[in-house]
Amino acid sequence: MNRPPISDSQLELMATRLEAVGLGRRDFLRIAGGLAAMGAAGFSAQPVSAAPKLEPGEKLAKDQTIRIGGGGWWQSDPSSHDYNKDLYCSGVPALWAGLMKFTADFQAVPYVASKVTPNKDGSVWTFEIRKDSRWSDGTACTAQSFEWSFKRQLDPATAAPYASFLYDIKNGEAFNKKQVASAAEVGVKAKGDWLLEVTLEGPRGYFAVLAAYLAALPAHQPSVEKFKDKWTEAGNLVCNGPFTLEAWEHGKQMVLKKNPHFFNAKEVTLDRVIIPIVPVASGALPYENNELQVSPLQSGDLKRLQNDPRTGKEVFRYPFPGTWYMLPQVTKAPFDNVKVRRALSQAVDRENVVKVAQGFAIPAHSMIPPGFPGAIDDPKIKAIQKYDPKAAMAHLKGTPFEGGKNWPKITLSMRDEALGAKPLAEAVQAVLLESLNLKTELEVLEQRVFRERLWKQELQLVWIRWFMDYPDPHNEYFDTFYGKKTTGKRQAWTNDAFDKELEAGRDTRDTKKRLANYAKAEEIMQNDAGYIPVAWVVRYAAAKPTVRGFEKNKAGEQLVDGNIYVDMLTRLYVVEKG
Amino acid sequence: MALSSSPTAAAEITLTTGVERTGSSSLWRDAIRRLLRNRLAMLGLMVVILLCLTAIFADVLAPYAYTKVNFGRLNDAPSRDYPLGTDQIGRDMLSRMIYGARVSMLVGLGAQIIVVLIGVPIGALSGYIGGRVDLVLTRLVDVMYAFPRLLFVILVMSMLGAGLMNIFIAIGLTGWVGIARQTRAQVLALREKEFVDAARALGGGFFRLLGRHVMPNALSPIVVAVTFGIPEAIFTEAALSFIGVGINPPTPSWGQMVGEGQQYLRSYWHLCVFPSIAIAVTMLAFTFLGDGVRDALDPKLN
Repeated sequence: MNRPPISDSQLELMATRLEAVGLGRRDFLRIAGGLAAMGAAGFSAQPVSAAPKLEPGEKLAKDQTIRIGGGGWWQSDPSSHDYNKDLYCSGVPALWAGLMKFTADFQAVPYVASKVTPNKDGSVWTFEIRKDSRWSDGTACTAQSFEWSFKRQLDPATAAPYASFLYDIKNGEAFNKKQVASAAEVGVKAKGDWLLEVTLEGPRGYFAVLAAYLAALPAHQPSVEKFKDKWTEAGNLVCNGPFTLEAWEHGKQMVLKKNPHFFNAKEVTLDRVIIPIVPVASGALPYENNELQVSPLQSGDLKRLQNDPRTGKEVFRYPFPGTWYMLPQVTKAPFDNVKVRRALSQAVDRENVVKVAQGFAIPAHSMIPPGFPGAIDDPKIKAIQKYDPKAAMAHLKGTPFEGGKNWPKITLSMRDEALGAKPLAEAVQAVLLESLNLKTELEVLEQRVFRERLWKQELQLVWIRWFMDYPDPHNEYFDTFYGKKTTGKRQAWTNDAFDKELEAGRDTRDTKKRLANYAKAEEIMQNDAGYIPVAWVVRYAAAKPTVRGFEKNKAGEQLVDGNIYVDMLTRLYVVEKG
Repeated sequence: MALSSSPTAAAEITLTTGVERTGSSSLWRDAIRRLLRNRLAMLGLMVVILLCLTAIFADVLAPYAYTKVNFGRLNDAPSRDYPLGTDQIGRDMLSRMIYGARVSMLVGLGAQIIVVLIGVPIGALSGYIGGRVDLVLTRLVDVMYAFPRLLFVILVMSMLGAGLMNIFIAIGLTGWVGIARQTRAQVLALREKEFVDAARALGGGFFRLLGRHVMPNALSPIVVAVTFGIPEAIFTEAALSFIGVGINPPTPSWGQMVGEGQQYLRSYWHLCVFPSIAIAVTMLAFTFLGDGVRDALDPKLN
């Protein structure tokens, strides 16, 4: 099957759907990027087999139990595991299997559905359900199960906070808003046990992508009806994913057990997964004490673990491309003066600044990190904002701040976040003081306050990052800096020539031409010092040498679970100590 | 002459000026004598004086500027160049702690000034006037008392924004309640005393009675409350900076240093341990001193 055409207006709609569930524009783009990357393969592409491929000399351990968590994963007790009702329940996604799932490259592929067929314009979708799809109690997980689940999410009585995610379904919105009384009028219909037909409000070429997201996971009708709010407690929960919930000691730990009724059970190797609830402040301590076998790392621990010969090899980098940069607000003095901005841009000693990130950052000279499409290696562009304190001071000639004098009060603002963001900002403060005698005060703002003031462009000087959503320069430039953006615009800086390059990049299919457009855009922005790139983000996790099977993406990087890719546990396995 | 905090009425009657001064000066002299004999309190006082000197002469004492970074020596353990090591962006920990003392002392004293300026007048008026004024002011105090202190400070801070001045205000606005209560209790007891009656009979006005007769005798519990209030304010600042709503970097504060250092405790212990010790020692010193002052001013306890 090929995927039906997706028009721009359809994409807009999809963005609204995802926004309604709190995903926001950027997550949408991440998914849409996967959609584009999928190309002609459409939604019928099959995921690679998960069954462990043992390397020579490896032997599967008898005890297939792992303990994961820490470093920000499950820092507090989940409110439930009921993704069908609340996608932010922060439960365990591995308990569930949806009609579709995302691959390591964020493509949506069939999962519980074995075949997905849209009609010509993508307004009616037929999901053929695998005949071996079972609930963990052994009963069939049929098309009716999904029909009931989708309707449950839309039912106003359920009060699901993110029900608007399914508003593409015919009468879904009307039913949720009580304009249509009967659930029978909602466009989800099981045709027999194994065929689910979803009729939409109109052509929605992306619907299968929505079906792969956490919000489209099913719920088990008899359990929900019997146990009400308590149906996802360990004793009550009936699920359809690779694992079942064996135990859940609230606030302490969860124990997952392999689900023998899962349709792909033969490809799942782990028997048990133990997830202790660990506050992020514990750092890597539980991992080092062998209480955890897979854990993301925080900046306080990375160097120590890397330098320790016992743990050095266990640390790996996982894809989380992002860029730290400074935004001088061009509407606020003194940054309304391009000379001041240029001075700032050449005053940042990036090589030294990144040292404080303890390995979680490398010096950046442009928006896109090396290894991704659009990465720039042009010496001409690299030279624009090159660290050169003399040149920086020279820029100030003729301004009131010549010689680093007369600076007004300058506040550098950032949001409150983890992973060593603050030391980086403090290092930037230090180098600005050193090269330009520019004193700044660092203000750490609470998330929401920060975003609100950022989008009002009230902040004078901003320390901020952009995490890449999908590997295309459109994401790094258009979604971030496009001057005609109406929502979520971070900077007052605009430039018509820059915008034109971005539009050209968007509307061209010729890769070479596009990259030239984006390189030109970067050059314009840097010359204008509309932004000042400082560091590229790097993230790390650690896994004990006996834990194998991490999936790799096209770039060859090992993946861990995030909010889109959630397939890690089905792939991991434990080998015997070599 | 009377040694207790309430001079005899006879002494009051002889002359309305000067008498209680002699009375209280000998009271204070006596208290100081008792304080000097208290070894723990003296130890505390010495530490406090040392801290004050450190704070005043920070510019001379600190081997480096607190903003001076050395990117080649990040998170260095204590060495000859950096006696207490360097922090996560390569700044000298010792210098930052010396400047941190300045912040702590400023907060301790500055906040207490605001506390006294608000708390004492409210308590005094409430106790002295009595009646409806007392009722209203006491209820106000009760309401303020009902708020969890730190939460209220955090609330005020998030409204005002970070900064030294705002910390004074936030702590001052929330810390006056205890002192107001103590002052009120003292004034309530004192205003019934004969010497106050006598002064009133001699035609003393409201402010004269309150200012010259009642308040000087109510002073000792206030002094004690202030001595205990200073470490509390210092600790509150440390707590605020620890959670990141206190003082903006790069200005160093002990609480902030502990807050940032504790994430690195397993890798770089010195980041967190030294400022913690500084906070602990300061708290202890003030507590010893406060205990001593209380014992000295209130001999009835012994």
